[in-house]
Amino acid sequence: MDPEVLEDWARKLRGLMVLAGLLFAILLLRLFHLQITTADDYAKESEDNRIARRRLKAPRGLILDRDGEVLARNRAAYSIQLTRGSPESDAEAIAALEAATGVTVNLGKRGRERIVRLKRDVDFPHTVAIVEERLRDDWPLRVAIEPQRLYPEGDVVAHLIGYMGEKQDDLTSSLRRPYVAGDYVGQTGLEHVYEDSLRGWDGVNYVEVDVRERVIDEHPFPDRERPPRTGRDLRLTVDLDIQRAATRAMPDSLAGSVVALDARTGAVLALVSHPSFDPNVFVSYGSQAERQRLIQDPAKPMLNRAIQGGYPPGSTLKMIGAVAALEIGITDTLSTFPACAGSLQVGDVVFRCFNREGHGELNLLEAMEMSCNIYFNHLAQILGIEAWHGYGALFGFGSPTQIDLDPSELSGILPDRQYHKEREGWVTGHLMNLVIGQGYMLVTPLQMARYVAALGNGGYLVTPHLHGEAPDPVRIEGVSEATLDIVRRSMYRVINGEHGTGRRARIAGIELAGKSGTAQGPRPDDDAWFVAFAPYEDPEIAVAVVIEGGGGGGSNAAPVARAVIKAYLEDQARRRAMAADTGARPGDS
Amino acid sequence: MRRELDLSLIVAMAMMIAFGVTMVYSAAGDSDVWRNQALFALMSLVVAVAIVYVPDKLFYDLAYPLYVLGLLSLLAVLVWGTGTPARWLSIGSARLQPSEFAKIATIMAIARFLGDQSVERVSGPRAVGLAVLLTALPMSLVARQPDLGTAVSFGAVLVPMLYWAGMRPLHVFFLAAPLLSVVFSFEPLWQDQAPIVFALFIIVSSVIIQLQLARLWVTLTMLGVNLSAGLVTTYLWANFLRGYQKARIMTFLDPESDPLGWGWNIIQSKIAIGSGGPTGKGFLEGTQTNYEFLPAAHTDFIFSVIGEELGFVGAVFVLSLFLFMIWRSLYIGTIANNRFASLVAVGMASMLTFHVFVNVGMTIGVMPVTGLPLPFLSYGGSSLLTNCIALGLLLHIYAHRHEY
Repeated sequence: MDPEVLEDWARKLRGLMVLAGLLFAILLLRLFHLQITTADDYAKESEDNRIARRRLKAPRGLILDRDGEVLARNRAAYSIQLTRGSPESDAEAIAALEAATGVTVNLGKRGRERIVRLKRDVDFPHTVAIVEERLRDDWPLRVAIEPQRLYPEGDVVAHLIGYMGEKQDDLTSSLRRPYVAGDYVGQTGLEHVYEDSLRGWDGVNYVEVDVRERVIDEHPFPDRERPPRTGRDLRLTVDLDIQRAATRAMPDSLAGSVVALDARTGAVLALVSHPSFDPNVFVSYGSQAERQRLIQDPAKPMLNRAIQGGYPPGSTLKMIGAVAALEIGITDTLSTFPACAGSLQVGDVVFRCFNREGHGELNLLEAMEMSCNIYFNHLAQILGIEAWHGYGALFGFGSPTQIDLDPSELSGILPDRQYHKEREGWVTGHLMNLVIGQGYMLVTPLQMARYVAALGNGGYLVTPHLHGEAPDPVRIEGVSEATLDIVRRSMYRVINGEHGTGRRARIAGIELAGKSGTAQGPRPDDDAWFVAFAPYEDPEIAVAVVIEGGGGGGSNAAPVARAVIKAYLEDQARRRAMAADTGARPGDS
Repeated sequence: MRRELDLSLIVAMAMMIAFGVTMVYSAAGDSDVWRNQALFALMSLVVAVAIVYVPDKLFYDLAYPLYVLGLLSLLAVLVWGTGTPARWLSIGSARLQPSEFAKIATIMAIARFLGDQSVERVSGPRAVGLAVLLTALPMSLVARQPDLGTAVSFGAVLVPMLYWAGMRPLHVFFLAAPLLSVVFSFEPLWQDQAPIVFALFIIVSSVIIQLQLARLWVTLTMLGVNLSAGLVTTYLWANFLRGYQKARIMTFLDPESDPLGWGWNIIQSKIAIGSGGPTGKGFLEGTQTNYEFLPAAHTDFIFSVIGEELGFVGAVFVLSLFLFMIWRSLYIGTIANNRFASLVAVGMASMLTFHVFVNVGMTIGVMPVTGLPLPFLSYGGSSLLTNCIALGLLLHIYAHRHEY
């Protein structure tokens, strides 16, 4: 070729090499940036890719009754997870899953998570088995197992357990033990109050996986793994047998509540609120409709009436008036007021006794036995609101019991003079209503159980509790042994007296004491009340029963209290027999 | 007749191919894949050496017939093509990718056409127009498949060849300016700065043209062309693209916006290369590769495997080898015994440069994801054979450089 042409080509070679060099410089600079400057970031991302950090959900602690009967345990729940790839491969895998199992799967919005939970809590023999056997190798699906709450006793213990709810928000990583969206967390009841000790500590392990989450190495970092620590078991004071008996004794068709306490310590032996619900519904992924129904049910099965139900206590409150009158010296066991003629007119208000013919002239014991309102109306006229209110407060009315069950416990209402002044003004007639447990007076069944326990145990106000050491009972100041003795005797006559309104609570072979009540509430029918303690000498159990719209307390609530006390006694007998049995043959266990 | 072989190019090619088979083995594991690739490699080497001994005149004579054959095969792909998208022709059990061979045929046809023109006429509108037409025909057929990356590679080959044939750099710039206008006015690329970047480009380019030519009407015409290209781009982007179309373009520019979908490949490739660090995770030790986080590891993303397992050192080694091959190809272009052969060499060098830049650029996120393979390294018989034929032609030109 021409030397001129060759020279021209040589010049152009330099030009094109400069261009190629520039292009390669771009590549090299970029490579330098990726592999030298920011290599550590990418090394970490590569590590995050292949090392799957798996949270090992800690099983919650068991909830046990005082004999170790299981009220809440854990079962294995299976969920199907998808490792996302392209939208097409996702859709393919879901279609295959749907075709194989017949379940419908709804893949939510496309997020940033590589692993998504497609279907939670699927049944094992059907869905899980199919996925494990047929789909695992072909589709990016995996079955994960996590512990799920199970309540074998169902609605019997629902209001003790409370219910759990799914965490909606994501990681709250500020906590030392963060929750993850989808975790079940106690919302009410014991599951809520003891959440921290029940939930345990989640563990962690690391698995080396490929892009489809197929495991390559089960333990790439054995020393970084941490097994989950099961939550602490919660041993309750409740006795399942008594709880069951109380549930059974309540009429099915009426709402109400039963509370049984250890009269000496305040340990809750049974706590029933009726109607109830199945707490399993709240830890079951597919029961949305049922949960909705429960929450909207006009019968309010979710309401824990034992601590959140406010009721007028009716005649069961008369012991407050009696204690006050005895302490102040207004009355004694022999004094009487003008005879009961069935009604009493004060100003233009007429107070009526439930016995329209009148009880005649009664002393305190008789008035209590027959539950004469007129006697207490007379008493109230002398007593004064301040004194009555003071003794009411001493027995714990108007303030929460501090039970370890729910922070939203009702205080009830113990009205004083001020309370009335703020409304329609004060007249003595108000106290004549309050003293027989009517008017603005509102109590919870748990308050009533504590009150009757204090009457029975010699004046000690206990703190109702479901778990742990009994808080020391507090001796109520300003209430003498003598006063309490008279009140106890009057309560004895309610059950054992010839005209006693609580005769239907009698149990052969044991003496008990109690008081009936028939309260006018907001419902068309009266609420039936009964409170009792047993045995009469040295009481061990205190019971409060309320049946909404249940009518006469003596006829309808007393049998429920009787059933509960009977169940308690039978349980005690069983314990003694067992103790004697093991005692007789030591070493045999 | 004894022929002189360019040993340095042969050694570079052999190293590259051996390296490629090794990395395909790492990427695809113990399957038949690497054996197939090794077999392709041996066959391709034989073809490359055989080409050296073909009589010199034959390629010149065959340039146009081969070009027509290439066009026909591309048409055949559009009619009978297999695969998704359809880019292959199946003959028995073999699958051919005609667009690969069409590249060589087109380079030869352009080389013959431009080589036949006198240097003065190369810059004329008629010669340039015909050269563009020669390129546009196969280019549009490939684009229909669709295979945008390969289609663009035809154009990328034409420009350096025109320059080599004698077209003035300024005229080359005229040819490329409207394309640059599109790039510089593309809003997603520059975001808020788009008007400033575009204005800067218009001013600078107009000043250069005016200083070089000092002819106002040319400057104004180019200004008009550039402005309209830029404004049309902006207008189309704002008004005619649908949401999902915009989303796909945005994903190229910001893969993190769809990390599991469109962004997956590029993100995983960058992780693979970046995590390789200075010296790599070691041969066969790449976790991104072995655990299949890196898609298409043995084909389009073979460079990511190299980056992950052999690190910056390995990547620089590969790029250096490529740069040497490019330089050697261009050098052979300067010692060729005629314009046709010289232009063929430049075309081959350009093709190699474009493929390496686009493929490697894709793996490190400076170029969009296209299906362009990395020459000699990516798995695939058609690509390997094409590149060996290209090198065979260069060896041929070298061997025949003293003949007239």
